[in-house]
Amino acid sequence: MSWLPCGIYHEYYKQDHRWWQTRFVWGKMILLFIVVYYLFPQYAGLYWIGVANIIGYTVLGAMGVQLLIGYCGQITLGHAAFIAVGAYVCALGMLMFHLPYIVSLLIAAFAAGIWSVLFGLPSAKVKGFYLIMTTMAAQFITVDFILTQYVSRIGGRGVAFSLPPGTIKVGPLVIDNDVRVYYLMVVLVTLCTLAMANLLRSRVGRAWIAIRDNDIAAEALGVNIVKYKLLAFFVAGVLGGVAGAFWISNLAALSPEHFMWSWSLWLVGVILIGGVGSIHGIFFGSMFMVLVLEALKFAIVPLAPIFPQLQMKFLFLKEAAFGLAICLFLIYEPNGMAYRWWQIKNYFNLWPFSY
Amino acid sequence: MQLFLLAIVTGIMVGSIYALVALGWCLIYKCSGVLNLAMGELTLIGAYVCLTFYTWGVPFILALVFTMVIGIILGFLTEHFFLRKLIGEPILTVIMVTVGLSFFFRGVVELIWGTDTRVFLPPVFPMKPIVWGPVIIGQVYLWSFIAAIILLIAFVSFFKYTRWGLSMQACADDEMAALSLGVSAKFVYAMAWAIAFMAAGVGGTLLGNINGLNISVGYLGLLVLPAVVLGGLNSVPGAIVGGIIIGILQNLSGAYLDQYFPGGVKEIAPFAFMVIVLLFLPYGLWGWERIERV
Repeated sequence: MSWLPCGIYHEYYKQDHRWWQTRFVWGKMILLFIVVYYLFPQYAGLYWIGVANIIGYTVLGAMGVQLLIGYCGQITLGHAAFIAVGAYVCALGMLMFHLPYIVSLLIAAFAAGIWSVLFGLPSAKVKGFYLIMTTMAAQFITVDFILTQYVSRIGGRGVAFSLPPGTIKVGPLVIDNDVRVYYLMVVLVTLCTLAMANLLRSRVGRAWIAIRDNDIAAEALGVNIVKYKLLAFFVAGVLGGVAGAFWISNLAALSPEHFMWSWSLWLVGVILIGGVGSIHGIFFGSMFMVLVLEALKFAIVPLAPIFPQLQMKFLFLKEAAFGLAICLFLIYEPNGMAYRWWQIKNYFNLWPFSY
Repeated sequence: MQLFLLAIVTGIMVGSIYALVALGWCLIYKCSGVLNLAMGELTLIGAYVCLTFYTWGVPFILALVFTMVIGIILGFLTEHFFLRKLIGEPILTVIMVTVGLSFFFRGVVELIWGTDTRVFLPPVFPMKPIVWGPVIIGQVYLWSFIAAIILLIAFVSFFKYTRWGLSMQACADDEMAALSLGVSAKFVYAMAWAIAFMAAGVGGTLLGNINGLNISVGYLGLLVLPAVVLGGLNSVPGAIVGGIIIGILQNLSGAYLDQYFPGGVKEIAPFAFMVIVLLFLPYGLWGWERIERV
């Protein structure tokens, strides 16, 4: 056992497929877990925990998008619709049927999955640009029409569901402050990442990757394309539903404005910046997007006395910066941050003799 | 009956504006294969530029011409700085660059002009409605229709009879052959973006004249997507007919379905329609049929 994964030769497939192959990697991952589960919430302060919650939500949301675009090759620009379905089903389950949060979350994830399959059905007949159009239609039909016009009015609540504090309980524990939301987020992110990573190295995941790389060849190899595409939509919808059901724990009121089309595009931007077809990419992309916005905010504070309008127009500046970031990343770093990370890692793994 | 006629006539007139914008979209796709999701923002930019000129006291026609000139410049710049570097990249990359551009443009528009609804003051077209038998229609619609038709004819004859237009057609038809005959592909791409900016700018100005101008005009620009899908992605006549049909459909659903599904039927109907078209007629009315196993 060496420190670095360089120069290790496996004798069994099982060894080759292990996630963490050396003690060094084990140590690194345990350290990461300690930081994420203990040190960060203990010492970071409430502001940064709030930021981390947003990052976690972005990660959960982008996971389904990554699965569809990065692993199954089905481009989707309407993922916010499935997140919205998750959030609404979860909220309705708790407010109207008084279900426990966890049960409600599971039902919400399942419902979002089914909803996603419904809009994935055209993928049996169309692909590429046409599929993009149908997912966009999913977004507009679900959020701008069904949720805004009908679901939001259930129970005479007007346009937004208010979620009184103390609604969301895991067992006896009330999720009512940022630290508890953070723990909920971390647990969900860990579970979803584990589920997705393991799914991707199973038969199902290999079938998805085959469809992404060449669908005709995949069918020749005996992959049932329609079934696996729909399965991908289902799993992506489930992940989106979990994201939505998590996010309501961070909200005081739920309204369709949280799930606009721009949020779908934002999620696709996250995976493109992070790296398509990589689980690391989801995390890198989410952190980059959220932290850049925080940095912009901090940059604006000293400028505010000089340009008082800047603070008012921050939202627009954010939009423009996001758009420019996507364009520049795609033009100058088309493989995303995960690729850069992989290169850096390789450099150090082979250091000092990198041949 | 009156409602029906009114919806049809209004639909044709609004639809002609969509047709104009759809023409620009279709041109970019035909010439360079880029699926442009930033079309709504191109209409926004054009509309706000024209409004600015108009509020400075420039006569409307002249303001429109200035808008088109600025559209050409912006089109060249956009193509040069963003799209040229992406030739040959996968489809998702190109689409997402246009999405990034749409965020960027919208952010810039909001930074410069804010989000309040603005109107053209004094009104460009007389307010008195025109009465044709049972049909009563605002003059704005009629003049928009006429302007859109004039521009459509101008663009189509540009493609048919001028040297540049013919080189664009050649490039759209077979890029390799066009290149070997000395057509500059870079110039053609730049031209396509310039024309798209021009068409979208005029379309946005006309839409802004009808309902006042705010960010939601950009959403109307998004309606070109159902229009071009209906017409077939790479067919210019298809884009024009598709635009008009989407306009009619939108107004009909607004007139008849609104009482059953209150709220946003008018905005959603084109997209719902698009999904149905895709299921049964995936290459639209006149698109190139590529038979492919999916």
